[in-house]
Amino acid sequence: MQAPKEQLSASFRDPSGFLFSRAGILYRQINNAYANNYARLMDSGLYDKLVKAGLLISHVESQQPPAISELAFKVIQPERVSFISYPYEWSFSQLKDAALATLNIQKRALKLGMSLKDASAYNIQFVRGKAALIDTLSFENYKEGEPWVAYRQFCQHFLAPLALMAYCDVRLSQLLRVYIDGVPLDLASRLLPVSTKLNFGLLTHIHLHASAQKRYSDKAVAPRTSTSLRVNRQAFIGLIESLENTVKKLTWKPAGTEWGDYYENTNYTDGAFEHKRQLVREWSIEKKPAVVWDLGGNTGVFTREAASSGAFTVSFDIDPAAVEQNYRTVKSKKEQNVLPLLLDLTNPSPALGWNNTERDSFGARGPVEMALALAVIHHLAISNNVPLLQLANFFAAHCKWLVIEFVPKSDSQVQKLLASREDIFPEYTREGFEQAFSTGFTIHRSESVRDSDRTLYLMQTR
Amino acid sequence: MHFSPLLYLDPGSGSFIIQILIAVLLGLGVALRASWGSIKKYFGAKQKPEEEDSDSDNASS
Repeated sequence: MQAPKEQLSASFRDPSGFLFSRAGILYRQINNAYANNYARLMDSGLYDKLVKAGLLISHVESQQPPAISELAFKVIQPERVSFISYPYEWSFSQLKDAALATLNIQKRALKLGMSLKDASAYNIQFVRGKAALIDTLSFENYKEGEPWVAYRQFCQHFLAPLALMAYCDVRLSQLLRVYIDGVPLDLASRLLPVSTKLNFGLLTHIHLHASAQKRYSDKAVAPRTSTSLRVNRQAFIGLIESLENTVKKLTWKPAGTEWGDYYENTNYTDGAFEHKRQLVREWSIEKKPAVVWDLGGNTGVFTREAASSGAFTVSFDIDPAAVEQNYRTVKSKKEQNVLPLLLDLTNPSPALGWNNTERDSFGARGPVEMALALAVIHHLAISNNVPLLQLANFFAAHCKWLVIEFVPKSDSQVQKLLASREDIFPEYTREGFEQAFSTGFTIHRSESVRDSDRTLYLMQTR
Repeated sequence: MHFSPLLYLDPGSGSFIIQILIAVLLGLGVALRASWGSIKKYFGAKQKPEEEDSDSDNASS
């Protein structure tokens, strides 16, 4: 059968149903095959409990005609998620919270006679600041005796990358960008220090698990059909709690960065810093964007000035420590409209997965109404040699309004970047910058930042 | 028992076997804890409140 044009390209694996988009609205078709499970989810009270706890997105049943009518049981309209992010864009605590949310959901589901039939990190999104499940069709009726079908997926999507981040290097989260179905356990087992074999959870769920996979790789077992291979309810709960304890014990603290002192290592004076904050706040309030991307958001000080206008603001940064701190701020202040994410602007997230259409690229998730690019242009133009005209084209493709800071060569931060290399950037001047950006933008404001050589611009794409 | 048509994930043979071994071991722990709870209750210890809704905030440290 041919998939209808409306079907979303990432939504094809699960025969329970799929997402489709019609007239800009996202719907989920529930297939007949899933009818019983859906009824149980709604009637058991599990749906209400999870939605109330912020662990599952809400939906309403819709009268829209289905996309494939011969399979259809119902059409639902799920709550729209402000921004879809992926596990390779999350900080350590974001992935950890996503893992704990998955296990929390599984425990609640078990109490009401259901179980998660998948445990994909891609089914979790940050909604109003908290990790929540977005796939309403992830539940199946729990049959006592059956093992957890999603155990392997949980270990690959969550436990292995978290352990690698905690025990080896936080940058290993990027393995998730290579392995779409999570980090292979044999690879995780090889990379983790031998000492992790003394940790019961990691010994069993990663090291022994990897050995068992190797040992039984070419043998067929079907425990679901066997009466001797049963996991009773107590054992099932024991397994989920063991995963939960193992995840909870994994911690990561950034080393080598001045934790919490990011802005003290800059050359700003308080006056310059305050002036910048004030301009970002004023321009955000004036333009009232619904969504803002802060590109190079660091720990999110200016992100929050934009967010104070009511905008949903995604704060991207290349530094895992900055993103981690930013996320901890979101949690401690219970902020609902700030989403910190890890992103290297010189190599942004590509389109990934089957046919390169399962996971959207960074650019495909835009454009947005407003982008901030503060204290970032010198890193792109000088450290990464990107010509100013290309930078202008890049920003013009991703936003309507741009708040951008030009940092001239006289600035001590640029001096640092040029200290170890030849200055091959004759066009990198304020005039050169304005000329390059005038090709794609109309410059509405330019304000000299107080007590500095820097300039802040408000521009609109042509 | 038979495979549900909705089981679209391959659970993996090795993953199933190891899970069963671990689960049996951990199940014993859960059972022991439960009986320890009833022993304590028998001797008049206060029961801890049900944790179900206290963990709604899926926070990590």
